[in-house]
Amino acid sequence: MPETLVTIYEVFMRTYEGFLKAALVTLKITAIALVIGIVLGIVFALMRISKSKILSTIANIYISVIRGTPLIVQIMFLYYGITSIIVLSNFWAGAIALGVHNGAYIAEIFRGAIQGVDRGQREASLALGMNKNQTMRRIIFPQALRIAIPPLGNQFIITLKDSSLVYVIGVTELFGLANREAASSFLPFETFMVVGLYYLVLVLIFTGLLRLYENKLNVDKL
Amino acid sequence: MIKTENLHKKFGKLEVLKGIDLNIHPGEVVVLVGVSGSGKSTLLRCLNFLEKAQEGNIYIDGRKIDRKKDNLPKVREEVGMVFQHFNLFPHKTVLENIIEAPMIVKKMDKPKAEQLARELLAKVGLSDKADVYPNKLSGGQKQRVAIARALAMEPKALLFDEPTSALDPELVGEVLQVMQDLANEGMTMVVVTHEMKFAREVASRIIMLDEGRIIENADPDTFFNHSSNERTRQFLEMVNVK
Repeated sequence: MPETLVTIYEVFMRTYEGFLKAALVTLKITAIALVIGIVLGIVFALMRISKSKILSTIANIYISVIRGTPLIVQIMFLYYGITSIIVLSNFWAGAIALGVHNGAYIAEIFRGAIQGVDRGQREASLALGMNKNQTMRRIIFPQALRIAIPPLGNQFIITLKDSSLVYVIGVTELFGLANREAASSFLPFETFMVVGLYYLVLVLIFTGLLRLYENKLNVDKL
Repeated sequence: MIKTENLHKKFGKLEVLKGIDLNIHPGEVVVLVGVSGSGKSTLLRCLNFLEKAQEGNIYIDGRKIDRKKDNLPKVREEVGMVFQHFNLFPHKTVLENIIEAPMIVKKMDKPKAEQLARELLAKVGLSDKADVYPNKLSGGQKQRVAIARALAMEPKALLFDEPTSALDPELVGEVLQVMQDLANEGMTMVVVTHEMKFAREVASRIIMLDEGRIIENADPDTFFNHSSNERTRQFLEMVNVK
């Protein structure tokens, strides 16, 4: 089907300016969501493994609710929930929703990684007179981070793709723009093919960067 | 130096220590022996509060330690520990492993901590390994670094939990040598080990545990040559030193 390829090329050339801008929006939303997700993830992971029943129960509820409901519902819920209290752009509402969503998954990744660090590391640190905080910060967490990197990378890729769902609250990121382009040009097949390629390229770049980082971490150590 | 009174420890329903009275004097090298499951490692781990004894008292330097009120990290500064599996920090170099606790716990400044670390590395014969990561070391080297790391806190006593059990046979000697040197310098040591030669030559006292109780508390000569205890004799036959 050479004519289809030609059409795809034409769609690409006609839309790339808009799509590059939209790709930037996608990247921004993803980056903000990841920062929020990592902060929440660390906090809730520590709460979940804490000895306090109250803290671990709160963390459990958060994780269960987030993992047990669809992201699209969370986005709508938070969008209408937050914007009824404070004035917030749909961009920020979407980024926050995606961040809160990610926090639950990242919390589980960190919890697993922290618990995956050899028990002897904690004992050795305590035996040297370090307190629990020092032990967590200086000994356990740096090692847990290394264990967490492959699943975190995976989660980052999922977030990048999941960011397409914020189109439902009217954010013009890659998918939102593609949706409009597809409707106005009457070329849905070609348009979605093009936007798919944008996502693919972004994910491949990200995967490459992640691999470089992992290699750098592994040199000389472990 | 370290004293226990009527120490009891249970894991669930299993009672591992059934009332241990122990008194370790400054400068003594006390070797704990016993078959596996006799409670010797658990006893050692109770002494620096890595395990929580449900009953009984522990005194360090004549002072009764209260698990709730006392600052356990502070207590552990005084009583160092060397582990069977070394437990070096893999994300830190040998030097960083040793300076970590002095810098973080004692707030020692870096040059001073590094100088101390280098002195200790020289003492365990590993001056050339300061900047490598632990995964580049042999088991014997790792354990010597672990000893240097424990010494960096200048503890009053050192606990050794089967320090040579995870080593290849040809690497055991170098670690025992370092331990013997420490003993000669007057370090107070409590050692769980199966190295009967070390026990015979270095120990000031040998304590035999059996099913959570102390059944023998004697100097090496009495323990190895004149024990009247049936279980002790069986044990010595089992480890083949008679």
